[in-house]
Amino acid sequence: MVVKRSQKETQQRAPFWLAALLVLNLVLMSVDARDEATKQRMIRVWAQTVVAPFEQVSSSVGGAGVGFFRNLANFRQAAVENGELKTRLAEAETRARDGQAAQIENERLKNLLNFRESSGYETIPAKVIARDASAWFDAVWINRGKGAGVELGMPVVTPEGIVGRVVALGPISAQIMLVTDERSGVGAIVGQLNQSNAFGSIRGLGDNGLLEMRFVPGTETIVKGDTVTTTGQDKIYPPGLTVGRVVEVKTDSANAPQVIHIQPGAPLQALEDVMVLRYRAPRNDAPEESLPNIDKGRR
Amino acid sequence: MKFKIALLIALAVLLQASLRILWPPLVYIDLPLIAVVYFALQRDMVQAVIIGTIAGLSTDALSGGILGAGGFSKTLVAYMIAGLTTRVVLDNPLVRIPVLAGAVGFDSLVYVLLHRLLSQPSSKPFAEVTSFKLIATTIIGTMIFYALDAFLSDRASQRRAFAFRRRSARRFSRRH
Repeated sequence: MVVKRSQKETQQRAPFWLAALLVLNLVLMSVDARDEATKQRMIRVWAQTVVAPFEQVSSSVGGAGVGFFRNLANFRQAAVENGELKTRLAEAETRARDGQAAQIENERLKNLLNFRESSGYETIPAKVIARDASAWFDAVWINRGKGAGVELGMPVVTPEGIVGRVVALGPISAQIMLVTDERSGVGAIVGQLNQSNAFGSIRGLGDNGLLEMRFVPGTETIVKGDTVTTTGQDKIYPPGLTVGRVVEVKTDSANAPQVIHIQPGAPLQALEDVMVLRYRAPRNDAPEESLPNIDKGRR
Repeated sequence: MKFKIALLIALAVLLQASLRILWPPLVYIDLPLIAVVYFALQRDMVQAVIIGTIAGLSTDALSGGILGAGGFSKTLVAYMIAGLTTRVVLDNPLVRIPVLAGAVGFDSLVYVLLHRLLSQPSSKPFAEVTSFKLIATTIIGTMIFYALDAFLSDRASQRRAFAFRRRSARRFSRRH
């Protein structure tokens, strides 16, 4: 192939290309950093719309490929070690493993169905098709989007606990910010509503996959193993959903708020099937007359 | 050739988002960065910075970070490596290892700093994540480089020959 420009010309043009591309990236960053989850970035939507079908195929093919090679190694080992009987035994074990895997998946899907029926909320089942491409953040992509009725801000859960909320939306897929992300926030209570006063605010710690609950009054008694549930005050998650279990309590004094570390109930590192709750927090349109010191003459 | 490059970048970005589902630690292998470093070593600076921007933006679009931060860091990495190749011989496979390791460290540093500057920091520990990325990306990247050399060898050998002739001519002109 003929090189159209000399190396010298290319090197002379390179700084201008560098400057232009860096400025482009800076502009994109400034736009993206200003907008929060209420405004979508179309490039994300377009990129995920294009990539989502390939991600679904690659995730299913990858899982099948890993299983195939694992079975192949087992078959080869059996043939070397013993012969036909061990081969039959290995085949029987493979069928048993497949059966167990099917049973586990069946249990998981049954739990999802039971949760759907018991929760009272309309749900959209979804599968996780991709995880964050960067090692610095925790986000997942699911195979349901606007076409399936998913909307921005909707909570995502499993029967074991809350997972996160929808922060970006495409026609056939959606991005979920996990609760372990530092930018996420959940209103929670240790124990059950109407039975405890240990209210607090949860954010992700990122490290070790734990959550941190802050502003819990120092007068409340919290012990390891206590269940943490949502309060609904964050206007994202409905009240009463499991967040996780207390694993560490840092108490200073009765006058200082406690800091609590929580192990999320949902298996965030091994998510497969999730549910998007079609839940919108009820709006509290307080009448102006209820506010103190309001100038009632100004109407 | 451009089609091969586009295909490789697309494949790298797609695998980067998909492999984490199979086994979460696979996220520490930065496949788009490996592709950017490889093409930056081909001594075409303009091509390198464009590939860096495209790979970085594609990864950002499929990530929870700020759109443009990855593009910014990978563009810088591509430019620096492409500039380095005009001064230092980096054709030796052993020399590529520290180059790749340095690229991982620099890319991570710039990426995290940009997020902190724009008040959207990651909560992941910098030293731990960068260490894992450095080890995994360097090892796998070295193997991928061998594969890419075989896949794109005609172009690579032609450019190496051209660069060698240019260096020789420069030395000759300095002496005389």
